[in-house]
Amino acid sequence: MAKDLSKVRNIGISAHIDSGKTTLTERILFYTDRIHAIHEVRGKDGVGAKMDSMELEKERGITIQSAATYASWKDKDINIIDTPGHVDFTIEVERALRVLDGAILVLCSVGGVQSQSITVSRQMARYKVPRIAFVNKCDRTGANPVRVTEQLRDKLELNAHMMQLPIGLEGEFEGIVDLITMKAIYFDGENGEILREEEIPADMSAEAGEKREALLEEISMFSEELMESLLEGGDIDPQLIYDAVRQGTLALEFTPVFVGSAYKNKGIQPLLDAVSSFLPCPTDVVNHALDLDNDEKEFPVTNDPEDKLIMLAFKLEDGRYGQLTYVRTYQGMLNKGDTVFNSRTGKKVKIGRLVRMHADEMEEIDSCGPGDIVALFGVDCASGDTFTADGISASMSSMHIPDPVISLAVIPVDNKAQNNMSKALNRFTKEDPTFRTYVDHETGETIISGMGELHLDVYIERMKREYSAAVDVGAPQVAYRETITLHAPFDYTHKKQTGGSGQYGRVAGYLEPLDEGEYEFVDQIVGGVIPREFIPSCDKGFQKSLAKGSLCGAAITGVRAVINDGNSHSVDSSDVAFQLAAQGAFREAYLKAKPVIMEPIMKVAVEGPTEFQGAVMGSLNQRRGMIIGTLEEGNYTVVEAEVPLSEMFGYSTTLRSLTQGKAEFTMEFATFKQVPKSVSEELVKKYQEERKND
Amino acid sequence: MGKEELIASNPLRILGLDNKAEEGRQSLGLVMARAGLGKTAILVQIALDSMLRGNRVLHVAIGETIDKTRDRYDDILAKMDEDLSEETESDLSRRRMIMTFKENVFSRAMLEERLKDLIEQDVFKPDCLIIDGYDFDGNGRQAMEDLKQLMAELGISVIWFSAVSHRNDPRVSADGVPAPCHTIDDLFEVVLLINPQDSVMKLDILRCAYCEVEPGTTLLLDPSTMLIKKS
Repeated sequence: MAKDLSKVRNIGISAHIDSGKTTLTERILFYTDRIHAIHEVRGKDGVGAKMDSMELEKERGITIQSAATYASWKDKDINIIDTPGHVDFTIEVERALRVLDGAILVLCSVGGVQSQSITVSRQMARYKVPRIAFVNKCDRTGANPVRVTEQLRDKLELNAHMMQLPIGLEGEFEGIVDLITMKAIYFDGENGEILREEEIPADMSAEAGEKREALLEEISMFSEELMESLLEGGDIDPQLIYDAVRQGTLALEFTPVFVGSAYKNKGIQPLLDAVSSFLPCPTDVVNHALDLDNDEKEFPVTNDPEDKLIMLAFKLEDGRYGQLTYVRTYQGMLNKGDTVFNSRTGKKVKIGRLVRMHADEMEEIDSCGPGDIVALFGVDCASGDTFTADGISASMSSMHIPDPVISLAVIPVDNKAQNNMSKALNRFTKEDPTFRTYVDHETGETIISGMGELHLDVYIERMKREYSAAVDVGAPQVAYRETITLHAPFDYTHKKQTGGSGQYGRVAGYLEPLDEGEYEFVDQIVGGVIPREFIPSCDKGFQKSLAKGSLCGAAITGVRAVINDGNSHSVDSSDVAFQLAAQGAFREAYLKAKPVIMEPIMKVAVEGPTEFQGAVMGSLNQRRGMIIGTLEEGNYTVVEAEVPLSEMFGYSTTLRSLTQGKAEFTMEFATFKQVPKSVSEELVKKYQEERKND
Repeated sequence: MGKEELIASNPLRILGLDNKAEEGRQSLGLVMARAGLGKTAILVQIALDSMLRGNRVLHVAIGETIDKTRDRYDDILAKMDEDLSEETESDLSRRRMIMTFKENVFSRAMLEERLKDLIEQDVFKPDCLIIDGYDFDGNGRQAMEDLKQLMAELGISVIWFSAVSHRNDPRVSADGVPAPCHTIDDLFEVVLLINPQDSVMKLDILRCAYCEVEPGTTLLLDPSTMLIKKS
């Protein structure tokens, strides 16, 4: 029997680090009967929260990898993806958002909307994810959910309105007032599992009435029926209100705000009700796939179990029992034992075991259908691969994957570590497309690259812990690039005659800057002056030349290589000869094409008390930062700047000492920009010295 | 269009403000209109013109976000010249800084403190200030005179303001400057008024101390792009 998709919710829990989302997830699992005891993130009982299944996450008290889990609340099936809060792991957040239909944006009622929340919100907007907000930690000193709601409006530009009022705050936080039912709700029992409904406290009655009126006025925009009902006066049917809030939320034009304290077991059940009522089901959202037989034309997936299967592998995990592949099904059914196709590799894959994941425990299932998020066992694939049934050639739209901006060398201490490191790197690169690795052929060192210092730190730690790979680590290096700025011709002949058959190949043409993309090879050879079979050799030769530029040894990007003339020899021309000719031609033209060094520029946001604004701006300025702007909020300011990554090493220490630890910063990759002349000269000099010493 | 052409062809040339800064004079400019008619778009064009001429502009946006303000500049610049070189764009962005304040937070004292911070830390020394969203109802002549004094102290040559006029407020100065600026219009060297008439958006020059044309001359606004053009 087909599953009723209106009862499915695929949601993410996404927020700033330390806003308590892991604790919130833990409570959700408790109230939905998935776990039977509550453990804290940094719990003294040594068990740790359920969703932080990786050792490292338990130790650091942060969520690094999103664990998917399944829960059911009343008549709804809820798939939850817990997502990391640090900006270095945004690929995890982005992947989660790609497969989710809705999200809970968790905010700390003290810290409010911080830079990371802004990044996450931007990502949610990119993937058009409807969201509800949960202002957590209302029991903390300084809690102010009203201010946080204002910040949602001001900083995130969301049409955010409180659906509940807190009864008391900080140490006196007792419960909530529901502005739809106009009832007070208290959370009794040892773990807040017993909901007690009461009349609204007398001293809050007027405020609740006013807030409800304002809320109804706002949401009436989304429902003519509600608007009419309001104009007529009298009692309003609560269902009209629920429907209007849902309409507004699904249209991304309204963000309902809920309050509570996960730690104190308050406000979680109403939040689950809100997930059921206001967040979309799979059929409320239109997802698109690309038709690989029709020039990658987009087409909407159907959510129909009768249609041919399309599902996306959005996350890989190396578990105790082998590789786990998390998939979201968009249409069709998948049964245990079915054979599916990986549309990237074209390979057939037999699905042996299907499981529903509950953090690090699993539940065997026989089949899954549209809207389901489940895990496959023992399937060899990469993150982002699409699986389809036979007879359909489709891929889910590609995900936005940023280029790595930082790299460092990892050196295994012995042979055993070498083997383990290889296994680990193989796994990590499959799991995380922003994590890359290669061997520097000149130094023989293995280089890993990623999105930030913390990103690489975590993988090094995982190498050591999960794979027992003892490694020494080099200093982090910025991923510079070289590119050309001018059109430059070449005409190069590679000729070698050392007895026996020689080597001969001549290539002529030009290099020119490529506005978009990394490299393009254009063959304009006519009349067979370079035989057809050697054209790919020329391409290969140019590509080899791109690996290392002559200015600072960085990879070369943004180059179009055009060949339009050449010569060959009936005996001495070969694949190798033309590869070497192309490399010689590249060398000849490269310096004439006025190469420059490009560096990654990061968008940095520093938030802190106003008194430190001057010092913060000064510190960014000293780091070749360009201040984009400042945002003044009374006693709190945000400074936004673009700063070269190379200048940001150690900034957290500087910032701490400048601001007595009261300011924090986030950064994300913005763009590549040409380095200033003085820096370029230094980099060139350093590279030349290194080469001399080698 | 090259940078030089952009400067030369800019209709703002007729306001004659260009050389006043070199003479060491401080000037105040004002763009007025009813709400929602495009004051910010005019201020951004004035700022871009100043930046193209090599000045540094601090854009103070009250009640607006950094991203939105930046988007305004990107939009207007793209409309002014689709093929602007990357080098010019990058040069322009180095000449601009955005400072945003929540409505209830902005004060002259705070602005002074921030400006001094910027200059002392050698972060940014503005030649021109744009203040969008200034509350003329709550701040009178003295506040404006204080600002002029601050300009002299910090070497700022021009400040442009925006002010909202109200359809149902009939008060105007002798030069036709509407409330709430009608009693302080003598403090401004230039006052522009966005004046929608039928299908045309006029930009009336109400006051102009250095104009190269007679007061009463009209500039027009292209209603689809909000770019200033000559009549």
